[in-house]
Amino acid sequence: MAYQADMRDVLFQLFEWLPTRELLAHERFSEWDPDSVQMVLQEALKLSQEVLGPANVEGDRVGARWENGKVYLPPSFHDAYQKIKEGGWIGCINNPEYGGMGLPEVIGTAVNEFFFGSNISLSLTALLTRGAGYLVEKFGTDEMRQLFCERMYSGQWAGTMCLTEPQAGSDVGASKTRAIKQPNGRYLIQGEKIFITSGDQDLTENIIHAVLARTPDAEPGTKGLSLFVVPKYRVNPDGSLGEFNDVACSNIEHKLGIHGSPTCSLVFGQNDACEGFLLGQEQEGMKLMFYMMNPARIEVGLQGAALAAAAYQAALAYAKTRLQGRHYSKLKDADAPQVAIIEHPDVRRMLFTSNAYVHAMRALLMQTSYYVDMSRLSEGEEAERYQSYVDVLTPICKAWASDWGFRVTEWCLQVFGGYGYTMEYPAEQYLRDAKIASIYEGTNGIQALDFVARKLPLKGGKPIRDLLGKAEETFKKLRNDPQLMEPAWMLAAALKQIEDLSKGLGKRPDAMMVVLLNSVPLLDMVGDVLGAHFLLEQAIVAREKLAAIFAAKGVDASDKKACRAVIEDDGEAAFYHNKVQLAIHFAYRVLPGVTAKAVAIRAGEMAPMEAVL
Amino acid sequence: MKYCVLVAYVPDTASIIKIGGAGNRIDEGGIKWIISPYDEFALEEAIRLKEARGGEVTVITYGPDRGSTGLRECLARGADRAVHVMGGEATFGDAFAIARVLAAAVQKAGPFDLILCGIKGVGSDQSLVGAMVAELLDVPHVSGVVKLEVGEGSLTAQRDVEGGTEVFTAPLPCLVAAHKGLNEPRYPSLKGIMAAKKIPIETWKPADLGLDEAALGGAEATSRWLKLELPAAKAGGTILNGEEDPAGAARELARLLRHEAKAI
Ligand SMILES: Cc1cc2nc3c(=O)[nH]c(=O)nc-3n(C[C@H](O)[C@H](O)[C@H](O)COP(=O)(O)OP(=O)(O)OC[C@H]3O[C@@H](n4cnc5c(N)ncnc54)[C@H](O)[C@@H]3O)c2cc1C
Ligand SMILES: Cc1cc2nc3c(=O)[nH]c(=O)nc-3n(C[C@H](O)[C@H](O)[C@H](O)COP(=O)(O)OP(=O)(O)OC[C@H]3O[C@@H](n4cnc5c(N)ncnc54)[C@H](O)[C@@H]3O)c2cc1C
Repeated sequence: MAYQADMRDVLFQLFEWLPTRELLAHERFSEWDPDSVQMVLQEALKLSQEVLGPANVEGDRVGARWENGKVYLPPSFHDAYQKIKEGGWIGCINNPEYGGMGLPEVIGTAVNEFFFGSNISLSLTALLTRGAGYLVEKFGTDEMRQLFCERMYSGQWAGTMCLTEPQAGSDVGASKTRAIKQPNGRYLIQGEKIFITSGDQDLTENIIHAVLARTPDAEPGTKGLSLFVVPKYRVNPDGSLGEFNDVACSNIEHKLGIHGSPTCSLVFGQNDACEGFLLGQEQEGMKLMFYMMNPARIEVGLQGAALAAAAYQAALAYAKTRLQGRHYSKLKDADAPQVAIIEHPDVRRMLFTSNAYVHAMRALLMQTSYYVDMSRLSEGEEAERYQSYVDVLTPICKAWASDWGFRVTEWCLQVFGGYGYTMEYPAEQYLRDAKIASIYEGTNGIQALDFVARKLPLKGGKPIRDLLGKAEETFKKLRNDPQLMEPAWMLAAALKQIEDLSKGLGKRPDAMMVVLLNSVPLLDMVGDVLGAHFLLEQAIVAREKLAAIFAAKGVDASDKKACRAVIEDDGEAAFYHNKVQLAIHFAYRVLPGVTAKAVAIRAGEMAPMEAVL
Repeated sequence: MKYCVLVAYVPDTASIIKIGGAGNRIDEGGIKWIISPYDEFALEEAIRLKEARGGEVTVITYGPDRGSTGLRECLARGADRAVHVMGGEATFGDAFAIARVLAAAVQKAGPFDLILCGIKGVGSDQSLVGAMVAELLDVPHVSGVVKLEVGEGSLTAQRDVEGGTEVFTAPLPCLVAAHKGLNEPRYPSLKGIMAAKKIPIETWKPADLGLDEAALGGAEATSRWLKLELPAAKAGGTILNGEEDPAGAARELARLLRHEAKAI
């Protein structure tokens, strides 16, 4: 089944919900306008369907191969990489001064939904290259910028992110890789990193590693880490490649999914010949690394959302063609013909819940990306405010979208029945490929700790209050609305639960333990509320557009039958109608869970701690 | 060298087609529009020729507003100049009327050394426009080209025919209608899309070419689309249950094949 995407909703979210038009009018984006951006999206989708998607299966079945210290990727990956490189897609959101294409983040998010959804394994290389290039751009010397940035943003060279070591996974501060300063100002790097995505590959002639390492008398923990740029091949002053820089790939992992993405063990400096270049100052490596990690966390959330979206499209198409069982109106008629399973209420529920989450995840990621853009376009206090929104939303994007994204791939597999469990159909690969998103870039458990310990209290709690305040606004708009009042009141009830917890928890003697035990549910609750708020906000827009369609067709909005006929005949009308239904469904099915979690948290249930494990 | 490519902006073959209008048109609601795939080969060939030996590529379309989107895509792939002759509603589907408009546009935009188009437009699939434009311009044409070499003042073109290939030479200027296999069209790059935004599309009306569109589609029309019909829905298969009476089922099968399907 070929990769399919919901271009209609992507365009809705960009141009009918978010003020992307205004964003594009800013002089920073003068190279772009709504028309050219729409062409960008069309072409990104076309590449995803015709090139990245077809390579995705080979990536899974053949996968990355390690042989004699080198990693090889399947031929289709070479062809696909070449095409996204030539098209300028790798650095699509990066700085044009260094060969990037300067698209807004929010457009990058839309493009990457297609790229990730059609081929996450290959796209990870691009993700890491953008991020590592950005570290050099921001913290490197002029010389480093000239040598590395354009070559990375153009995809000629790739990048990686090297944090993890056997004893240092979530606990990055336990890293042991050493960096010893040389008389020439460079550093000798020595140590072993594991699980390094694209740590070696045969797509690019050079690989630029961003490595966290410790200088000899540095402090223990994350505070003592410094950040280095370590090329696989040394780079001559003219940009040509010099000798091998003693970065060896000792093996790759065999794993559940993303088989086309090599997960490498790297040995730095086993022959004392690995040199690295310091970024920023010694011992501020962790702080600098977050400039790569934070955008990557949003993109890993997008991985969950994109694979969920792809899985949904596949399940939807399958459900329309698979004949099984009789129509619910003819259950007693043994001679009734088999119907497509999309007729069965339970299948519709699985599909619709999946799609509701997909729309909500897309909204969360687009909204966050839009705030990233605004934080760069504005100045002073306003810029800080947008940045604080991004800070709070980053762990929610990462954890909420990767967790629910994975679950959506599971529901979609279920729609396929037994066929979903086989490799004949893409459902099982989407599920396997999605799982990793809750683990890397900081596990979702670590995201939740970051959320409760750092992001909720940020700036005295103002950013989270602002963000939830916007949900409150949505409630107020709909509190008396005949169609959406119940979902609106459910949103209000969920908001109240969060507010009560935020006021009450701190005062408890067992506050610390309650929060540590419930950090993941707490993050989830906020994600659920934001998701419902976004969908209801979008439903308001959609309803106006639907009314306009009825009016244009001369249909009286109170004539249910006539309206239904329009919805069934007109694709646009159906889209807007569905947007409203998705918001209703999401509110009813998801928001009560917020209250349920709050009950458990408020009760101070401690069984996992009481138990002897 | 100056190259001209004629492109049509047509419904995506993956679109679900519904009949609309007075039963002689397709319903355009919900249709996704694309550059006709055969025209993509023509455009790609022109851009490759330009890249190899210099020159300028002009793309021309005749059609309603949306045609500009198609032209933008051509510019994003590397065309230098785009001309949109607005209209086409009145002359819809009449290959000769379309060819007259295009030939006049080529004349006005030219002169060109080489004119390329697709062998047919997806949708009406008539394979008429290219040859007609060539005749109207009084230049030679080769249709269904799968390999092309352009020399000084002449070209060599190859076309596949039943059981073999034909090789033609023709003097320039000449019109070439491209077939599948001529090349592999590129994807537009982001740089190309950015650059395309800066090139203004020239918009002309048939009247600017000295043509009266109403007459072209009315009194002077050479053909008119009367009616469109979707292919009949496929009838469900017939299953003969042979478990109880295999011989009977076999007899019934033979009867159906002979009398119903008329296969034997
Ligand atoms: C396919 C793949 C690709 C990867 N790519 C990269 C890469 O490119 N670069 C890179 O540097 N790393 C990469 N990683 C490593 C990844 O980031 C780590 O696996 C991840 O951070 C978790 O570390 P760990 O595996 O050691 O698990 P652990 O840290 O052992 O965690 C195990 C469990 O314990 C929980 N846990 C651990 N500590 C705490 C705590 N303090 N409080 C609460 N819960 C805790 C975790 O949430 C988790 O559920 C990759 C991993 C994989 C599998
Ligand atoms: C690994 C594996 C081992 C198996 N082993 C055996 C075995 O040993 N023996 C054997 O006989 N079979 C076996 N099966 C087949 C298995 O039992 C079927 O795959 C299963 O019953 C589902 O049927 P299906 O795959 O045709 O899915 P479908 O029936 O097409 O179902 C697809 C989706 O539609 C839904 N659906 C279908 N009909 C209705 C309805 N009327 N109302 C509501 N929802 C509906 C389903 O719930 C499902 O979500 C095996 C399958 C697998 C994958």
